[in-house]
Amino acid sequence: MEARSLPGSVLSYAATLFLLVTLNFFLPRAMPGDPIDALLSRSSTTYIDDENTRAELADYYGLDQPLLAQYGRYLGGLVRGDLGTSIRTNAPVRDALRDRLPWSLLLVGSATAAATVVGMVAGVHAGWRRGKRVDRGLLGVFLGLREFPTFLLGSLALFVFAVKLDWFPLAGARTPFAELSPVGQVADVAHHLVLPATVLAVGLAAGHYLVMRAGVVGELGADYLLLGRAKGLAERRLKYRYAARNALLPVVSLSAIQLGFAITGDILVERVFAYPGLGRLLFESIGARDYPVIQGCFLVTTVIVVSVNALADLLYRLLDPRTVG
Amino acid sequence: MSAEPRTDPRPRRSALLVIGLAMLGSLALVALLAPVLAPYDPRALSGDSFERPSAEHLLGTNDIGQDILSQVIWGARASLEVALGAASLVVALGTFLGVVPALIGGTLDRLVARLAVVFLALPVLPLLILVGSLAGPSRVVVIGVIGVIGWPPVARLLRSQTLSLRSRGFVAASRGFGSGALYVCRRHLVPALAPFLVVAFVTWSGIAIGIEAALAFLGLGDPTGVSWGLMLNRALDTQGIYFSGLWTWWVLPAGLAITAAVLGFTFVGVGLEPRFNRRVQA
Repeated sequence: MEARSLPGSVLSYAATLFLLVTLNFFLPRAMPGDPIDALLSRSSTTYIDDENTRAELADYYGLDQPLLAQYGRYLGGLVRGDLGTSIRTNAPVRDALRDRLPWSLLLVGSATAAATVVGMVAGVHAGWRRGKRVDRGLLGVFLGLREFPTFLLGSLALFVFAVKLDWFPLAGARTPFAELSPVGQVADVAHHLVLPATVLAVGLAAGHYLVMRAGVVGELGADYLLLGRAKGLAERRLKYRYAARNALLPVVSLSAIQLGFAITGDILVERVFAYPGLGRLLFESIGARDYPVIQGCFLVTTVIVVSVNALADLLYRLLDPRTVG
Repeated sequence: MSAEPRTDPRPRRSALLVIGLAMLGSLALVALLAPVLAPYDPRALSGDSFERPSAEHLLGTNDIGQDILSQVIWGARASLEVALGAASLVVALGTFLGVVPALIGGTLDRLVARLAVVFLALPVLPLLILVGSLAGPSRVVVIGVIGVIGWPPVARLLRSQTLSLRSRGFVAASRGFGSGALYVCRRHLVPALAPFLVVAFVTWSGIAIGIEAALAFLGLGDPTGVSWGLMLNRALDTQGIYFSGLWTWWVLPAGLAITAAVLGFTFVGVGLEPRFNRRVQA
């Protein structure tokens, strides 16, 4: 990892956030033919019929004002949490995001957790037995799964486990119109979650596996293991309590670094499983050319990714003082 | 498979390289010969809708009666075009922004390096979706955006290599004999950096194929074109796709084609790495 000073690192993340917010403002306005304008002009095929929505849209983008004034208004709106109005539903974008975000967090969170645990355990196992058949087999499995496109894997999983075997539901995050007890509801949500979360986790586990394996391989010849062995400690204890523990740190920060991949995978997985999170909202909005919502999703996902990366970077410095440059 | 541990990874890497090259060779062949190989015009309505596989339509027809096999074959062409276009752009931008500032040094170098770090932290797909939906779905847009987003890692790698090459003996000697910056660049830097450029090109070709497919899959593909991602998008929007067998001859072939193309590039990239690295970093 590149050693950067703390202020430099904070500055860099702040610059990325600023770039995101600014891109979100300028991109719609910089596009040839101005897509927003097309929504407002009567001669266009994408003309919005609803007068209320049109007024809201014109007001949100404020196209009649000078660019800098528009930018100022946009930033002011962001601070108040004003992300405009959806063209499709005529409801505030903020509300749509608030409804959908928890589902995405649940999906990405459980997939990341599962990927971390599975990747770590497999990585420790493979690293401990470096060069053996287990090691080579696991390497092939994880790398192969990682290269498999998420949407095909998702569709395949759906076909096999939901259609042919009928183990899991086909789509959605819970059974519609079902009246269930609180416990039943939790079970229902979990039942819907298994398949999409597993598909998402499969692509993420490879990273943890590789980093953990490399970490354990790096510890193999260490003196403390030799001493432990001389003391007669059990192999299990040496493996998990000693070697794995020392190789753990990079895996922790990898979870944050991989969040970008996780979001990408999440968008595709939600499309396959019709899971009602941000990715699904994004897909629906692409079809309707609902620009305010697309922009809202862009802003929320990217700001979360960059912030979590920044946090992980800071946390890493706290956990391992050696990384302070 | 032998049970004894293998310490030298080279033999397996070259096997990967051969397999990868064979896969890419067939992909290129299919793309080149698409007009000959495809039994129908992929856009023509050559049958009824949802025909099952038969002698006339080996993979059946889609919802509006287009031949699915012909679409898979022509899709190879679309994927390769995006792959080569986007990878060329990534490598060109990455080389320019990696090598030139590193040679000049000073504030410009620091600025570009910092910019690369800022860009590296941007999540790719959400940005692509935003730009793609605003600019309208077209292949040129997809290629352009992948190029703009992909340069930082390439530039970073080339910058560090350039900085280390700059201080090597043979460059200093060449400079000592009075050769100019451009001559040094052409005579010493480009040959030394070429392996990295090749690996970056191959890697990004594979990434670009995946990204193009993902965008088309989300509804941001050029609707007038024929591509694997578009096929998947259309197929998964079809009611009951999983229940009628359609899935097996519509979704699966397109999905496997994408997988094979991505894997081909990955194999070649992974297979090439150690050969090149030995020469430059030894």
